[in-house]
Amino acid sequence: MTATISHINLFVRDQKKAYEVYVTKLGFRVTTDITMDNGMRWLTVSPPDNADIEILLAEPYAPMMKADLASHIRAVLDADGMPGGVWRTDDCEKAYEEMKRKGIEFLKKPTKEFYGIEALFRDGCGNWFSLTQRPPKG
Amino acid sequence: MTRDGQQDPAGRALERVLTLMNTRYNLRLDIDALCEEAHFSRYHFIRTFRSRLRETPHQYLMRKRIDRARELLATSDMSVTDICFEVGFESLGSFSSLFHRTVGWPPSVYRARSFEQRRSPRAYIPACCWTMFGFEESALRD
Repeated sequence: MTATISHINLFVRDQKKAYEVYVTKLGFRVTTDITMDNGMRWLTVSPPDNADIEILLAEPYAPMMKADLASHIRAVLDADGMPGGVWRTDDCEKAYEEMKRKGIEFLKKPTKEFYGIEALFRDGCGNWFSLTQRPPKG
Repeated sequence: MTRDGQQDPAGRALERVLTLMNTRYNLRLDIDALCEEAHFSRYHFIRTFRSRLRETPHQYLMRKRIDRARELLATSDMSVTDICFEVGFESLGSFSSLFHRTVGWPPSVYRARSFEQRRSPRAYIPACCWTMFGFEESALRD
């Protein structure tokens, strides 16, 4: 394949809070942070081990999308109900302890599931994620 | 933090401490001074602070200082050393190291990137997003 993903969007309730969570607590690196003339802030971060992908931390407002759609998304974020994705780890228990120490709120402690060991956490910005350790191969 | 100060004296005490930390983060605020402001014992203060704010008083204070340093680096022409002392650090080494660890770039690199991003935003924001985000034509013509 000759194309790869460079930017993905993660909706957040509040960019300032998202900065605090993703950069200060979770160790993401700020890739771009520009406030434009119209007041919109283009804020992207990259995971500490992957500078090639930028995650756009965006608040859902027009003109990015129609106002009614944005309000639906905000309602989901306000309910902390947006599924954000999956984080992979080699040691779920250790990652859970580290993240908890940094103030990340967990909905589910590391639990053995048929697909591995999984914990669930909230980013405090409207999203929840799975933190999963795959079972050993073989 | 408090829904009702009368019924939540701990929350009220923490609000006093947060006001102090938010406005005087650049001063030497040791844990004893914060405990005194809250009228709490050291142990009770740290435990209450951490359970309510999900970070330690030290982490909170450092975050405030780094946030302010970020702002000054991006918007002022103060030197990195002056900013370091302005926000309350006493050593350039510990400031730079914490800044790098927290933000992902050393202070001088962060400043250079901030200036460059503001000067040439088109180089950093995918062209397809300009319309979608309603960025002004004037900014596009930069």
